[in-house]
Amino acid sequence: MTTGTIIAIIGAAFAAILAGIGSAYGVRITGQAAAGVVAEKPDLFGKLLVIEALPGTQGIYGFLVAVIVMVRIGVLGGGALQLSVEQGWSFLGACMPIAFVGFFSAIYQGQTAVAGIMMAAKDPSTSAKGITMAALVETYAILALLVSILLVFGIQI
Amino acid sequence: MIVPMKKVTLYALKQDKEALLAALQRCGELMVVETEDSLPQDGCEEATEALKRTRETLRFVGKNAGKKGLLTVRPEVEASRLLSADPESEALQKQAFGLERRLDENSAKESSLKAQSDSLAPWLPLDTAVESLKDTRKVAVFTGNVAKDSIPALTSVLDRFDAEAQFLGEGLSGRAAVLYCMKDQAEEMLSAAKAAGFEQAALPRISGVPVDCEAKLTEEREKLTKERDEMKDSLSKLAAKRDELELLCDQQATVCSRLGTPAAATEYTFRLCGWAMADRAEKIRKAVESVTDAYALAFEEPTEDDQPPTVEKNSRFVTPFETITDMFSRPDPRELDPNPIMAPWYWIIFGMMMADAGYGLIMALFFGLFLKLKKPRGDFGKLVKVLLYASITTAFWGVMFGAYFGAEWFPPVLFIPLDEPVSTLILCLGIGVLHIFSGMAMAMANAFKAGDWQAAIFDNLSWIIMISGLGMLFVPSLAGVGKIMALTGAGIVLFTAGRSKKGIKKVTSGILGLYSITGHVSDILSYSRILALALSSGVVAMVFNLLAGMVQGSIIGFLFSIFIYLLGHAFNLAMGLLSAYVHSSRLQYIEFFGKFYQGNGHAFTPLSVQNKYVDLK
Repeated sequence: MTTGTIIAIIGAAFAAILAGIGSAYGVRITGQAAAGVVAEKPDLFGKLLVIEALPGTQGIYGFLVAVIVMVRIGVLGGGALQLSVEQGWSFLGACMPIAFVGFFSAIYQGQTAVAGIMMAAKDPSTSAKGITMAALVETYAILALLVSILLVFGIQI
Repeated sequence: MIVPMKKVTLYALKQDKEALLAALQRCGELMVVETEDSLPQDGCEEATEALKRTRETLRFVGKNAGKKGLLTVRPEVEASRLLSADPESEALQKQAFGLERRLDENSAKESSLKAQSDSLAPWLPLDTAVESLKDTRKVAVFTGNVAKDSIPALTSVLDRFDAEAQFLGEGLSGRAAVLYCMKDQAEEMLSAAKAAGFEQAALPRISGVPVDCEAKLTEEREKLTKERDEMKDSLSKLAAKRDELELLCDQQATVCSRLGTPAAATEYTFRLCGWAMADRAEKIRKAVESVTDAYALAFEEPTEDDQPPTVEKNSRFVTPFETITDMFSRPDPRELDPNPIMAPWYWIIFGMMMADAGYGLIMALFFGLFLKLKKPRGDFGKLVKVLLYASITTAFWGVMFGAYFGAEWFPPVLFIPLDEPVSTLILCLGIGVLHIFSGMAMAMANAFKAGDWQAAIFDNLSWIIMISGLGMLFVPSLAGVGKIMALTGAGIVLFTAGRSKKGIKKVTSGILGLYSITGHVSDILSYSRILALALSSGVVAMVFNLLAGMVQGSIIGFLFSIFIYLLGHAFNLAMGLLSAYVHSSRLQYIEFFGKFYQGNGHAFTPLSVQNKYVDLK
């Protein structure tokens, strides 16, 4: 295995790690808020679960980019390619958008989702609005995911 | 489309009020609104109280009856049965209410007995009656507790004072002890004993030998347990009658909504004001006539100041999608209904985001069966229908992109997004441009309806021309035409955006108007999320296939791989549905509705029978 391949693997790991941590944090704070509301209003469980799942998607995006990198450099499915150092750094760079934007947007989305949960607790009919507000934050994670995917596929090997 | 509404005013005699309200409730077409002089009917508060009690009882019975089966179907009931509460059901509710109170009392008694028994426990080895433990002429008696470690210290203190101790059982605060000493040394001994770790405590408040008392307590507790078991038995019998209580709940809610109807009254007459759909006027008149002929009923067109409620009426395909719009905001009754245009776009975009023929099939089966067996109603029922319809587009785009459970069973009709992300991106942005254009077209239609042709042409058509022109610049053969169109559009915006302003502001507003191109571009780029979501659900599916493929070496591995397939795809399908639902809604709310939609209508809630737990025959 060449140094380039190792750098690419580090990049894939970063995408999964940072986006995953961000999502775990986001889901944690929304879960805590939702649990408090459900204790008072058990009927709201279904609606709040949808809001709670929203900050979880960044983790999936990070995972996704990590897997695409693994597929492209041949770590998954046998026969890892011998990447040059330049190619390795390119892959690491390609992973950065979803790693960092995923990390921060999941945390911020979690905070927005908590506010949405508080709103739904006062008036359950507003839960869809809370979902939409939280979903707006996700836009930037999606854009970062897109950039990461396009970059990963754009690298010549 | 939005159903035209009529303002309804009904005058009738007070003696017919009860019967009239019941008839109108049966008919379910009139939404009564409050006026300055209107009041709810007599008995409204009592009815609300009764409903609240029944709901609590139902919760109590339900908690003990366990969950209903997932596929339990609501019973069917005649609407007329809901108009008043059944006396037998009310008796049943009272019985359940009494049972709940007695159970509470029982457990309160039980816990107080348990507390007594706990405090008695350390004193059980005492073989004399408690009341006999008091000072004699020469001897002082102290009772209390001492921690186990402090016993040797205490014993040595006692030895010094020539006192005696009787150590009894272990309790929460240490070992119970009785100290005896001569009265003349009592004070000194006590303070020394306290220093050694003795804590003075009163005896439990009982009379007689502790063991006998304990026996009595145990007997009482057994009696309570027996009573509780009996009550639990009758509770499970009640739980079998949950249906009756649920029906009672609906009946009482119906009574409540009828008595809560606001009406203005004089000595002999009363007046109802409200709204009804224009084509239902005859139905309301018939309902009134079935009760009395002494009435005056007027239907009027709403004036500018009125705020009629919004009723949407659409084709069978569009109707379920109304729930998506209503979650954002109901349309204003005076604007165009966005649903007929929004529904197909939501349908297509949802399918693109899921884009897997296998998932489409599973969705069709799952939601189809769910609708058939469970018959969900209201907004939730509509949502399930939306998902059922979306299964068709999901399968369609799956075939287009060659995705079958994340694998490529057949070659794609168009291309595979993962192999040609740029082509897919262009496709998604193209869909976005058309979606936004249709939003602008709606804005134009609304402007024409309001008689403002300038807004239609200058603020909307200009942008359609300009954005189409800019798009054509990317196609070499159309670049020439595109350039002219883009410049024409930009020129219209530049010279007309400031048309309502004066002087220098005319110029600055024109330039600022042109600047809003950034907003349009970011709106269009927002549709790139379609590609991202399609890729993400596709790749996650692929990963699970890959993982399952890796373990398929032996028979155990093969079984394990089936497990991975099922769990992995179920997870991916659920997350994909969530993302597709949220993000295709967002594209409607922000990018599409942002172009034209006012919203802020309120719901039409006619006086009708309440059937939360039953279906009407």
